[in-house]
Amino acid sequence: MPETPPSTGPAPSLGDSLSQGWTERGQELPPDDWGRRQGRRRTGTVWFFALVITAMALGNAWVSDQLTSQAFLAWATVFTAICFQALPFLVFGVALSAALTAFVPTSVYQRFIPSDAARAVPVAGLSGALLPGCECASVPIAGSLIRRGVAPAAALTFLLAAPAVNPVVMIATAVAFAGQPEMVAARFGASLLASVAVGWIWVRFGRADWLRLPARTPVPGESRWSVFRESMLHDMMHAGGYLVVGGLAAATLNVAAPREWLVTVAGMPVVSVLVLALLAILLSICSEADAFVAVSFTDFSPIAKLAFMVVGPMVDLKLIAMQAGLFGWRFTARFVPLCLVVGLLATFLIGGLLL
Amino acid sequence: MNRIAQGLTLVLLGAAALTATVATDLYLNWVKPGFGPFLVAAGIVMALLGVLVVAAELRGESRGGPSADAAHEAHGHGEEGHDHSRAPRVAWLLLLPVLAVFVVAPPALGSYTVESTAESSGPPPRENRERSGAFDDGLEDAAPGEVVPLDLRQFVMRAWIDEERHLAGRTVELTGFAVPAEGEGWYLARLQMACCAADAVVNKVLITDRPAPEADSWWTVRGTWVEPEGELVEVSEHRFSVEEIEEVTDPPDPYE
Repeated sequence: MPETPPSTGPAPSLGDSLSQGWTERGQELPPDDWGRRQGRRRTGTVWFFALVITAMALGNAWVSDQLTSQAFLAWATVFTAICFQALPFLVFGVALSAALTAFVPTSVYQRFIPSDAARAVPVAGLSGALLPGCECASVPIAGSLIRRGVAPAAALTFLLAAPAVNPVVMIATAVAFAGQPEMVAARFGASLLASVAVGWIWVRFGRADWLRLPARTPVPGESRWSVFRESMLHDMMHAGGYLVVGGLAAATLNVAAPREWLVTVAGMPVVSVLVLALLAILLSICSEADAFVAVSFTDFSPIAKLAFMVVGPMVDLKLIAMQAGLFGWRFTARFVPLCLVVGLLATFLIGGLLL
Repeated sequence: MNRIAQGLTLVLLGAAALTATVATDLYLNWVKPGFGPFLVAAGIVMALLGVLVVAAELRGESRGGPSADAAHEAHGHGEEGHDHSRAPRVAWLLLLPVLAVFVVAPPALGSYTVESTAESSGPPPRENRERSGAFDDGLEDAAPGEVVPLDLRQFVMRAWIDEERHLAGRTVELTGFAVPAEGEGWYLARLQMACCAADAVVNKVLITDRPAPEADSWWTVRGTWVEPEGELVEVSEHRFSVEEIEEVTDPPDPYE
């Protein structure tokens, strides 16, 4: 049996030493005991990675100094920042969701979550207020809840509520809008209302076959740890790739979009709300940070800022991509517009009452 | 994407996260310093998971036998939703952040960002102006004549909001990087970050009484606020009169 790749000892000079170790290992392959058909594929994969790592080491040595385009570097910085900001949250969410799958028996859910979907929805909305985490974490958790037999409507309510009304987000909002408790209350109210409303609409009109859940079925007799490992790998690969797609789109907009025209738009009452909602979708900022960004839109009305904070955690590019990865496009194409409309209505309603 | 590729991708991603935090301070260019431990933890978990997946695959343990991949090939690729141990093609994109860290090693945002957002940086949020006791700079506690070190954020906030103009006549010390101005003079600027570089906000002050240094070089300046005439809210940018200026050789955490 060949050695497993070295775990990640910190590379002294940006991966050079790491990659060298890997290239050498690549040359030892394939070992004798590998199978015939899959062996060839595996060897190809390992060679491919050895090539990638060598290329990266060369790139590190030669290309890095050539990269002087300021616009490209700013784009790369924002892209990397979004990815690495979201990564720990994604890992946390994926680990929690895998733990739910592997270690919590289905009976627990049946005991705590009402079996009647219409009653389960508000329970799910409120339980979202307890669990800290951002969008990246809640998508895989919701997927695992559905697989464990929780009513899809309730799991979707949890998916929407958890990133929007959890304690960390509420504290961040209170810090950003210091001296404006009504903004915190409006955010909590509008987000919770919208999440529960979407859940109830899904109970009434949703269809199970829209949801594609590519769950892996555990092999009987598989150990719990191996279930844990496999479901973590599965969710990480499905949600992670799309997180990068969202990061690419958001970074491009962040760097390329002219901010000047926003100032002209800010004066128009309804248009300004829609524009900030659209911006929330495009920028894909983590819900734990969006309040600080919202507060920086100086010229916009409080309702427009509320829309930014209510719509952002429910609908954004990164989320759309991740939902499509885990639940399929048939679902996403219906769920996203619904969330957007309901989120905007809740914003106008609660914002009109409180702000 | 077969399981070996998935495992190796995770190992590389974990290595990238650990390289950016443990081996270097690259992560300070992208996220807040307090976020480091979370990145380290995530890096360890990903690398570990990747190693375990590759190890299990090589032992032929997963999916009940060594025929895992072969069984999947027999399945055919048309049956969507059955091919569970393979990841979608989009998962290859997880190699992009790895490339970014190892090849590009993105620097902190600097003068380019300040220049390209020139139009949008103005007075701080209106509602901040209405609240009192919002200052965390300790300017009022400092003894008269004492030099007060301020963040650019604190300075700009003070300059725009403090209707009592406590800043007037006080000698303060600011640290930031140089950005050439379109008209006369140059800016001393610093980016303020709430969460990650994607939400960075520019704070800057105009300096006209010293020759413009090279863009993105770091400086500590001592001097006073040039008190504007008329309403503070109407001011479009604040000026700073320099008494002493000194180049900073090892720039601090780029954001504040």
